[in-house]
Amino acid sequence: MFQLFLIAFRNLGTHRRRTLLLGGAIAGVTTLLVILMGLSTGMKESMLRSATTLATGHVNVAGFYKVTAGQAAPVVTGYPKIIEQIRQDVPELDYVVQRGRGWAKLVSDTAAMQVGVGGIDVQNEPGFRRVVMVKEGSLDALSRPGTLLIFEKQAKKLGVKVGDTLTIVAPTMRGTSNTVDVTVGAIAANVGMMSDFNVFLHAATLRSLYQLRDDTTGAILVYLKDLSQVPHVQARLRQSLEKAGHILMDNDPRAFWFKFEVVNREGWTGQKLDITNWEDEISFISWTLTALNSLTGVLIFVLLVIIGVGIMNTLWIAIRERTREIGTLRAIGMQRRRVLLMFLFEAMTLGALGTLAGATVGLGVCLGVNAANVTMPDVVAVFIMSDKLNLAVNAGSVIGAMVFITGCTTLISLIPSFLAARLKPVTAMHHIG
Amino acid sequence: MNSGVAQSPIVSISQVTKDYTLGKVVVPALRGVDLQVHPGEFISIAGPSGSGKTTLLNLIGCVDTATAGVVRVAGQDTKQLSERQLTNLRLHTIGFIFQSFNLVSVLSVFQNVEFPLLLQRKLDKVQRRERVMQLLEQVGLAHHAKHRPNELSGGQRQRVAVARALVTRPQLVLADEPTANLDSVTGQNIIDLMKELNQKEGTTFIFSTHDAKVMNHANAVVRLADGKILDRLTPAEATRAMAAGAEAH
Repeated sequence: MFQLFLIAFRNLGTHRRRTLLLGGAIAGVTTLLVILMGLSTGMKESMLRSATTLATGHVNVAGFYKVTAGQAAPVVTGYPKIIEQIRQDVPELDYVVQRGRGWAKLVSDTAAMQVGVGGIDVQNEPGFRRVVMVKEGSLDALSRPGTLLIFEKQAKKLGVKVGDTLTIVAPTMRGTSNTVDVTVGAIAANVGMMSDFNVFLHAATLRSLYQLRDDTTGAILVYLKDLSQVPHVQARLRQSLEKAGHILMDNDPRAFWFKFEVVNREGWTGQKLDITNWEDEISFISWTLTALNSLTGVLIFVLLVIIGVGIMNTLWIAIRERTREIGTLRAIGMQRRRVLLMFLFEAMTLGALGTLAGATVGLGVCLGVNAANVTMPDVVAVFIMSDKLNLAVNAGSVIGAMVFITGCTTLISLIPSFLAARLKPVTAMHHIG
Repeated sequence: MNSGVAQSPIVSISQVTKDYTLGKVVVPALRGVDLQVHPGEFISIAGPSGSGKTTLLNLIGCVDTATAGVVRVAGQDTKQLSERQLTNLRLHTIGFIFQSFNLVSVLSVFQNVEFPLLLQRKLDKVQRRERVMQLLEQVGLAHHAKHRPNELSGGQRQRVAVARALVTRPQLVLADEPTANLDSVTGQNIIDLMKELNQKEGTTFIFSTHDAKVMNHANAVVRLADGKILDRLTPAEATRAMAAGAEAH
């Protein structure tokens, strides 16, 4: 077997230019795959980190309260008891917080914009502090009633700075609009799409805006130590909350504001709980990740087809050049299977060396880009959920990419290798050319 | 060295024909050939180009199959054997020496000679090394073991091919015009080497040639013309017959 590897390896060395061209192409595709995977993983990481802190927990217990059949408010009544039950039923729990939810108009002296308002108790939000980078003011300011956190982009649009006053105008279920004047306590760095339509207000101020009771909130955000436990915890909470007498909505994997129309059409009144996970709540933006993955798939497929044609062509040439050698080896007693292996080894060796070089370059590019701390234009930042380009690579996916491309190159070479193995010794030995 | 004549033949060919189809034309290469070769013989197959020498060697070497007739090698009817069995028969029973050496260019002299032993998988590394070096010494190339074929002269390459053919200690060695690509002195040396190994090891050699000087070394000369065996003569008789034929022509 070693001898077959040796023949394959040395043949690659003998035809250096051909090997370099084809190996370079394989390396190029691997580099591209590693970079695109880094971008996809980086986006996913950013999305997970930003979204799960700003907009959703890993698992959410939210719901709707309806005074009449057609008037739904996204609130959870009696939330302290539910939090207590979550603490008992979820040993995987890292921490749990409650957030108010609202949809209001933010008005400054010069501009206005529609935003989702999160009512936040900043003293009990450890994750929030890790993700939100305050550019002006202080997060602690949010612990004072009547204080608001906005993002840089919003501050620019509204023309405000820390200490300025904004008016929040919120429509209520009774058809009137409540208003409250708030002070900008902090301006945070943008976090992609999330910072386009989210602001955070002191929790009690949000409650007073909507005239809600103290034990009412918008959603309970449950954070777990291990993200892989989300489906189990979600299923367990459904059971335990139902058992505790709460009425649950059917599972609907969408963000809560997509559900208003459906809920308002239903005839029930009172409180219903809705249990979702982080993927449900950001499904409206995760398409960017799906799009990138699809684009990566198509791009890699096209490049692999091109490389496949190259490898096939190269092997045809190699087989043509070495037909007499094949005939000789068959004549001296080499079985067909070994001839097949000999050419497969050649393609596999080329693939392995090419992907190794490509992965090394790809890793270098990823590390270089991360070290350079590249700031992305706004239009890109919206989609990658971060204003910095983050190419996250992990060993598993790089090795996976190498194995995948090497596997493809080996598979592609099966046809010419098989035909080489099928050559009759006498035909091969007397081949001219 | 005809002591083995009484033994059963290592090659037995009976009423063998071989046709090649070139488009719509069928070209007969062998027409009803009968031949028996016994262990230890050193036989030359002589004849002009196109007489069927290579075709006959191909059939004996199990790299091609006859259109009709029976080819028996080491007692086995080659027509009854599968591709795999034929390959095994070649590996364990037959050694090949080719006109243009046919060495694997990317392997060293040592690795080329060792290759059939690796395919056989009978010997361990130490035994293989011993066997290969012994043969390389016999052919006078022990000090060239690490060289690649392209670093050797034609005669040296053919000696490597001889060593490769003999390394498995085959019962039969087939050589298709082994001296055709060599100058006369080198060709003479190769034939001497083959003869020496024939006498020492008792290996049966069948080689094709159209060179009278080369066929003089054989125990017997089988003359072929137009796909038929004309006769089986001693080298002296063959030389006379060929000279007479040339005069008549």
